[in-house]
Amino acid sequence: MLAGIDYFVVIAYFVGVLILGYYFKRFVDSSEDYFLGGRSLPFWAIGMSIVVSDIGALDFVGVSGQAYRYGISVGNFDWIGSVPAMLLAAFIFIPYFWRGGMYTIPEYLGKRFNRHVRTIASLTWIIFFAVDLGVLFWASAVLLNVLMGWPIWVSILATASIVGLYTYFGGITAVVMTDVVQLVVMFVGGFALVFLGFEAVGGWENMVDKIHNMGPEYSRHFQLVQPADAETPFPWTGILFGLTFVMANAYMIGNQTIVQRCLTAKNEWHAKASMIFASALKMLIPLLVLFPGLMAIIIHPGLEDGDKALPMMIKNILPPGLVGLMFSAFFAGMMSSVDSILNSTATLFTKDIYEPYIKKNASDKHYLQVGKITTLSILLIGVLSSPISSLYPGIYVAIQTFLSFFQGPLFAILLLGIFWKRTTGAGGLAALIIGIGSAVLMNVFKASIFTIEDPFLYISWWSFVIGFITAVVVSLFTKPVPVTEMKGLVYNAKDS
Amino acid sequence: MLNFNWLSGVSHETARMVFFGLFIFIGMLILLISNAYAFKGIETERRHWWNNLKLWGLVVLGMLFTVYYIF
Repeated sequence: MLAGIDYFVVIAYFVGVLILGYYFKRFVDSSEDYFLGGRSLPFWAIGMSIVVSDIGALDFVGVSGQAYRYGISVGNFDWIGSVPAMLLAAFIFIPYFWRGGMYTIPEYLGKRFNRHVRTIASLTWIIFFAVDLGVLFWASAVLLNVLMGWPIWVSILATASIVGLYTYFGGITAVVMTDVVQLVVMFVGGFALVFLGFEAVGGWENMVDKIHNMGPEYSRHFQLVQPADAETPFPWTGILFGLTFVMANAYMIGNQTIVQRCLTAKNEWHAKASMIFASALKMLIPLLVLFPGLMAIIIHPGLEDGDKALPMMIKNILPPGLVGLMFSAFFAGMMSSVDSILNSTATLFTKDIYEPYIKKNASDKHYLQVGKITTLSILLIGVLSSPISSLYPGIYVAIQTFLSFFQGPLFAILLLGIFWKRTTGAGGLAALIIGIGSAVLMNVFKASIFTIEDPFLYISWWSFVIGFITAVVVSLFTKPVPVTEMKGLVYNAKDS
Repeated sequence: MLNFNWLSGVSHETARMVFFGLFIFIGMLILLISNAYAFKGIETERRHWWNNLKLWGLVVLGMLFTVYYIF
């Protein structure tokens, strides 16, 4: 499927990213440089990095496929499912994390609640990222193999070598700055496909008319707000309660790979601005990933597997050269996700596990070295464990489901921790344990409890509610934390 | 209850109004933020209307409102 010029574009992209990433090695002299970029990065780079880290090669194909099946309601995830949460993060949470000089979200939880909450949260993220990395490598490589015929191990090893090299040497500065290039590549490739796709379907109005005329099953393809009794996974109730109120906030406020970037900002204004700028860029993402799926309804009607929509659009719409650029965009999505996981896992392990439990009060150079070795170790675990994914086809979904168990209770304690002074360490710990336990039970019995196709949005909401109530009740029955110990950790605390 | 069946009778238009109400509520919260907080981190002499983060937030929210108004 690739022409000679496409190979040239892809190789040029690889070499360019490698050189750029390696260049930032010279700025790493301390663990703060490695994990927080010396707290010197500008808002625009951080904002672009947040957005590109959040979208991978699998999302391109998966979201286009869902748009093919369900229409634009899948865009809710990037619009109402991101923007309000990002504004909340920008104006309330990020300033507290940045001012506190935090490296990790569990570090905040440890200061606000206790070391057990910090350890549970950190270990959960580390395990999730370690397993997710292997699955991400394999699933993305299989996708690239299907799309372009690129051998699976070539994709994995090429990505691992390039990303591993610049992340190991350049730390988060290299990660953020290469993400900037990756976002540009992704936007240019994606918008080229959308632009040429619109020409092929005769423009927006023509596309809408044609899809509406295809039958009653397409009548809601251009409705963002779907009825509560819709059989799709996106009824408005799930979008509002599960996604907007819980999952989006937990992701934008509690996910280390997202928040760590804002902590690299040169001052508080840049930290806040980075998240707001990212929310503006986020508004554009559905245009890239959703529109090709809608166009494919007209160009390739009747596909049994919606996930084939995007590959077929690339094959039939894009000329040589732009196919290579789109292929580079897929790699950009994969590489930006991998580099984020590597650096954030290294930060979590070094700051939340190694420093408090394994070797306290060591020199800064020592922790820098530990961070680098952890980066390499996680990369090796990811590469070596990736073939396991092929033995368990449902593992990708299982891992995402595991994350949804954690997000509701995590957001409950973050919300209460920052807004309610009366929340205690015991309350936070109980909320985390009981909230996660209830989410697991709801998932086990989902067939008898829920009526919609995949109730992960409802599970997130109800596990949040259970975690929230548990934290309130247990806090009220346990000894309050002195206000002096909450300095800089609680919103509007007199001493903060 | 867990499936929000009690909201199944809510019309499409009412559900959209709920979304718009949320956007307006967030917009009002942003307006309540003090200018000093929105500019914090920038020296006083370098503060201009274009780096007021309240304005940035409202513009993004306006874009979101427009998308949901159209669809």
